[in-house]
Amino acid sequence: MTDIRLKEVSKKFGSFQVCHSIDLDIKAGEFITLLGSSGCGKTTTLNMVAGLEDSTSGDILIAGRRVNDLSPVERDVAMVFQNYALYPHMTVAQNIGFNLKMRGVPPAIIREKIQKLAASLELGHVLERFPAQLSGGQQQRVAIGRALVREPRIFLFDEPFSNLDASLRVKMRAEVNQLHVQQNVTSIFVTHDQEEAMSISDRIAVMYRGRVEQVGTPEEIYARPATRYVASFIGSPQIELLDGILEESNGATFVRAGQTVLPVSIGRSKFKVGRAVEFGVRPEHVRVGENGIEGRVQILQPIGPATHVKIDTAAGAFIASVPGFLRVKPGDAVNIEIQPSDLHVFDKETGLRL
Amino acid sequence: MSFQAYRTGGPAKRIGVYIGLTIFVVWSIAPIVWLVLSSVLEQSALIAQPPDLSPSNFTRENFVAVLASASALGRGVLNSLIVSLFSTALALTLGAPAAYALARLSVPYSNVIGFIILATQMLPGIAIAIPLFLLISYLGLIDSVLTLGVVYLSFNLPIVIWILRGFFLSIPIGIEKAAAVDGAGPLRTLWYVVLPISIPPMGAAAVFAFIEAWNEFFFALILTRQSAQTVPLAIAQFAGQYQTVFGQMMAAAVISVAPVIVIATIFRDQIIRGFADGMMKG
Repeated sequence: MTDIRLKEVSKKFGSFQVCHSIDLDIKAGEFITLLGSSGCGKTTTLNMVAGLEDSTSGDILIAGRRVNDLSPVERDVAMVFQNYALYPHMTVAQNIGFNLKMRGVPPAIIREKIQKLAASLELGHVLERFPAQLSGGQQQRVAIGRALVREPRIFLFDEPFSNLDASLRVKMRAEVNQLHVQQNVTSIFVTHDQEEAMSISDRIAVMYRGRVEQVGTPEEIYARPATRYVASFIGSPQIELLDGILEESNGATFVRAGQTVLPVSIGRSKFKVGRAVEFGVRPEHVRVGENGIEGRVQILQPIGPATHVKIDTAAGAFIASVPGFLRVKPGDAVNIEIQPSDLHVFDKETGLRL
Repeated sequence: MSFQAYRTGGPAKRIGVYIGLTIFVVWSIAPIVWLVLSSVLEQSALIAQPPDLSPSNFTRENFVAVLASASALGRGVLNSLIVSLFSTALALTLGAPAAYALARLSVPYSNVIGFIILATQMLPGIAIAIPLFLLISYLGLIDSVLTLGVVYLSFNLPIVIWILRGFFLSIPIGIEKAAAVDGAGPLRTLWYVVLPISIPPMGAAAVFAFIEAWNEFFFALILTRQSAQTVPLAIAQFAGQYQTVFGQMMAAAVISVAPVIVIATIFRDQIIRGFADGMMKG
C-alpha cells in the first residue's frame, strides 16, 4: 500500500509555467482523479509523478520516499496512456509481456502471467495479433493489461478512455472501477470528463490553469464547490452564475441582483454588506412552479429523464432541470423558487466560496 | 465539380501531367537505355550518325571481352562490395544511436550539432582531397579497401543521421514514454521499440549510403593504386590513352550498375516511404 505526496510541485516549460506549487496528499489505496479542461496541467502533473517529466521545483514522495531523481521503473509505477501507446510491431502478448522481459523475468513465467491476465481481460483469442488488428476497446484492454501484469505500486491513467465511443467508455469505466476494488492499488486518473471523474473516483482534484482549485469527494466537489471555476466546471447542465451584491436588513442576509432579492445563508465572518459576488443554483435545485421569482421560459430542452429550461428573470437567466417532461412553451410566464441553502455564492474578486 | 473531378482535374490538366511525367521518365531512363544499347552494339554502328540499330549490328562481343578480362572488373566488384557494405553497415550502426540521441535525449544544442553534422556535407570533395590524401599517405594507408570504407563512412554518416533523426522525431513520443515506464532505458528503447518500427527509413538510408559508396569515383581514384580499385575505376580502365573501347566500357558499366538498379527496384516502396518519413521533419 503506497501513498503519494506532492509538495509544492511546480513545472515550467521555458518561461511558461504549467503547474503552480501543487500540493496533494494521496492516501494508500485511494483512487484520485485530476480533473480539468485541456491545458490545466493535469497530464504534466501525472507525468511528473510517473517520472516522465522533471519538476522544476518541489518534492514528490512515494511511500514517504522522495523520488524526484528516480526513473519511472525505480518508482514502480504503471501507466495507461491516452492513445494506448502500444508497440505497433509487437503482438498483444509481447506488448503485455514487454515490461516483464525488461525486468529479466524468465519467459516461462511471463507466458504464464500473460495467459492468466488475458483470460480476465478477454484477450485470450487475440494474443498473437498486432495492435493494428484490434478494435479500440481491445487496444485499451491491452494497454491496461500491460499496466496490470507487473503488479505495480501505483497506477497512472492518462485520459485512457478519451478515444473510445460513449458506450464502451462507460463499460471500461466500470471495469477499471472493479479492478480498483479488487486490487486496491493507489491510482491517479486524469480526465477532462467530469462525469467520468465523478463516477470512478474516491476523491477528485479539480485543476485550473496549473493550480489545484479543490480536492474532495465527488459529493463535496459537487455540493460545495470551493471556487467559481469548480462550480461552473462541474455539473451538467452548467450552473449559471449571476452578479449580485450582499445586503442585510433586520438581521437577515440577502443577495441582490437588480430588483431581485434572494435570502442567503453565509457565515458571519465572510458576510460583508456591499460585497460584490457571483451566485448560482444547480439546475436541479431550481424549482419551477407558481410562486417565487417571476420569469419567462426562453429555451426548452427535453432530454428524456428531465427537461432543461432556461428561464429569464429580472436578476438574470437561470437554468432549471425538471424531472420528466415540462408542459410549457418558450415565452410562457413561470415562477421559480430557490432555497437559501442551495445558493452558491462566490466572491466576485477572488472567486472563492463565501 | 465533384470531389473526384476536383482531385483528378479536367482532361487538359491530366494531359499536362502525363506530358510532364513522360518528359521526366525519358530524361531519367534515356542514359540507361543508351548505356545498355552501347554495350550490345558494334562500335562502328554505335558511332555512326545516326547510330545504326539494325539487328545485325547487335553483338555479345563486348560482354564476352569484358568477362574474358574479368579479373580487373571482378576485383573491382569485390572491392566495391566490401567498401559499400562496410561503410553502409557502420553508418547505420553508428548513425542510428546518434540520430536517436539528437532527436530524443536532452543533448545540449542538439539542433546546432545536427546542423554542423549536415554542414560537413557542404564542403566540396576537392577541398578536402589534398589534406585527406596527405594524411592517409602519411599513415601508409593508401590503396587499402578499409581506408576507402572509412572515408565513405565519413560521407555517409551525416546523411544517415539526418534521415533517421527526421524519422525518429516523427514517431509518437507516447510509445517511448510507455517503454520508459516499462523499464527500458534509452538504449533498450532504441533497440526494442524504435529500431523495429524504423525499418523503412533505415532501408532507405542504407540504399542511399550503398549507392553513394558504390558509385564514388574521385576519392577512389586518389586513394587507391591497384589492389583496392573499385568498380568505377575498373570501368575507367577501358578508356586507354590512344583508344577508348566504348562497347566494352559500357558493358562493364552495365555489369556494375546492375546490382544498384536491382536493389533500388526491389526496395523501391521502402525507399520512397523511408525518405518521405525521414524528410517530413527536419
